[in-house]
Amino acid sequence: MNKERISSLLARRAFLRKLGASAAAAGVAAKVLAASPQRPAYPDPNYDWSQHRWAFAVDATKCIGCLRCVEACKRENEVLPDAHHFNTWVERYVYLEGEEKPRIDSQDDPVNIAASGSEAQYRFADRYKDEKVEKAFFVPKLCNQCTNPACVQVCPTGATFKTKDGVVLIDQTYCIGCQYCVQACPYGARWFNAKKNVTQKCYWCYHRTTRGMMPACVEACPVGARMFGDLNDRQSRVSLFVRNNRVRVLKPETGNGPNVYYLGLDKDVV
Amino acid sequence: MPKHIVRLTVLLFCGLFFALVMKWAFTAPSFYQYGHYRGDAVAEMASRKVAYQGAASCRSCHSERLAQWSAGSHKSVNCETCHGAGAEHPAKAQLAIPEDSRKLCSLCHQKMAERPRAQPQIDLAQHGAAQQCVVCHDPHSPKLAGVVAAVRGDASAGHAKHAETCAGCHGEQGLSDNDAWPNLAGQNAAYIVHRLAAFKSGAQKDPMMSTMAQALGSADIQNLATYYGAASCAAPAKGRVTEEGKALAKNCAACHGEKGEGVNPAWPRLAGQKPGYLADALKAFRAGLRKDPTMSGIARSLSDADISSLASYYAAQSCSIPLARKLP
Repeated sequence: MNKERISSLLARRAFLRKLGASAAAAGVAAKVLAASPQRPAYPDPNYDWSQHRWAFAVDATKCIGCLRCVEACKRENEVLPDAHHFNTWVERYVYLEGEEKPRIDSQDDPVNIAASGSEAQYRFADRYKDEKVEKAFFVPKLCNQCTNPACVQVCPTGATFKTKDGVVLIDQTYCIGCQYCVQACPYGARWFNAKKNVTQKCYWCYHRTTRGMMPACVEACPVGARMFGDLNDRQSRVSLFVRNNRVRVLKPETGNGPNVYYLGLDKDVV
Repeated sequence: MPKHIVRLTVLLFCGLFFALVMKWAFTAPSFYQYGHYRGDAVAEMASRKVAYQGAASCRSCHSERLAQWSAGSHKSVNCETCHGAGAEHPAKAQLAIPEDSRKLCSLCHQKMAERPRAQPQIDLAQHGAAQQCVVCHDPHSPKLAGVVAAVRGDASAGHAKHAETCAGCHGEQGLSDNDAWPNLAGQNAAYIVHRLAAFKSGAQKDPMMSTMAQALGSADIQNLATYYGAASCAAPAKGRVTEEGKALAKNCAACHGEKGEGVNPAWPRLAGQKPGYLADALKAFRAGLRKDPTMSGIARSLSDADISSLASYYAAQSCSIPLARKLP
């Protein structure tokens, strides 16, 4: 092996070493950059999404079915003012004497639409007043902001995603209206806005909660059946509620990991 | 390397380059900032306009209402639950004062088997005779002042006290000779206690009654009330029933009974009462001289003619009808 050959080999080794070192440096720099407290430009500059783990709780034993939550949500989030599109809704479960299965209705039921007098107002008709009711209750429902959301998994464009503080959002500029997510959601929480060609759903009033306010439905509930708060704060209303009660979630078997905790549901509620 | 392979490779690289350029051009700069989504979308969603402002935002202008509301049984119901979202208020829009309170209140208070038992509920067909709820209930503090403490006095001691101090004006039998002074015999005992206590404390003022009541001990008040409550009020009826009086009295029936017989011991019986006294009382409520959250509002809607026809309607009723309903 001649001298020239050796020196070129050494030069190559040195070059490769430098290359490796610089690649490693670049990697570290990228890591450092990613770890820096980078966060979205919230209206409240003090809001840090890595510090919160939002959760929602519903005490179904308190719900009176007044539907103030539904109207407040429609107004707050500009949901279509009809009886067929809801971010949040309330279901009524009624067990009549001698019947095994509950009768379930909600705001889209024609009898309830007739009772409210318009599709833009909501009320439950007193339709069981002449029946023998054995057991009956209301169940408020909304998006569960799942920990492993199936809707995010199926979205082909990255239009729907999970934020660090635990809310599933929809980026309307990226949504192509394919409605895969509507199909994927086991809770029926998503609805399609045919006018805008986008999917919409409850997002726990992210524009309010990041400003330190309660979601509109929580604000409007006259009996305190809806609760919202931070699971990272052990003294928050939701933390206390989840800790001090035997709560359950809807359809835990789907593996989505829902984050709306319910108290007082019957076995038939899904 | 064969020429065709070189060409194919070049073509592939061109395609790859084109694809990368397109990806770079069409992907939003903030995509992948936090994950597989457009990072800016988070702030965009968080920046949406807030419609519901919360009760705290009402405080600066409506502190009086807020104080009343936060002391009453409706304190868990936020302002905007009934008045609507305050987003444009006060800059651009006024908030609605709900017109149809029967419709609004029944959203929560209509009796339904589905509602939890703890929720106060009414049978719409039975309650309030199709009147608006706000006629009797102040929506900011809806509980009526109908709390009745049991009246446990000694009727014979009450009779003695009556003969000693009251009979001069209110009559030997508790049936007054003067049209402007009320009959007391047969009146609800709890109502008498309320009134005497109000005169005694100064909450209600009357040149005569204030001094009289101040001289009474609470045992005297109990005794008197027991005596009057049990006394017979069979007196000749005085007024006359007109169509107007009958129609107007329908609005009072929910609390005072159809013929003024009274439905709640805390509220007065009006049947067989002196017409002059009834008219004076209504006018005092109207003028704000006598204060009562329910009656003040009602009396303000009555004209002098209304008042006189109502007074003579009740005066014409026989007072010996039993109390329509005892308190649960």
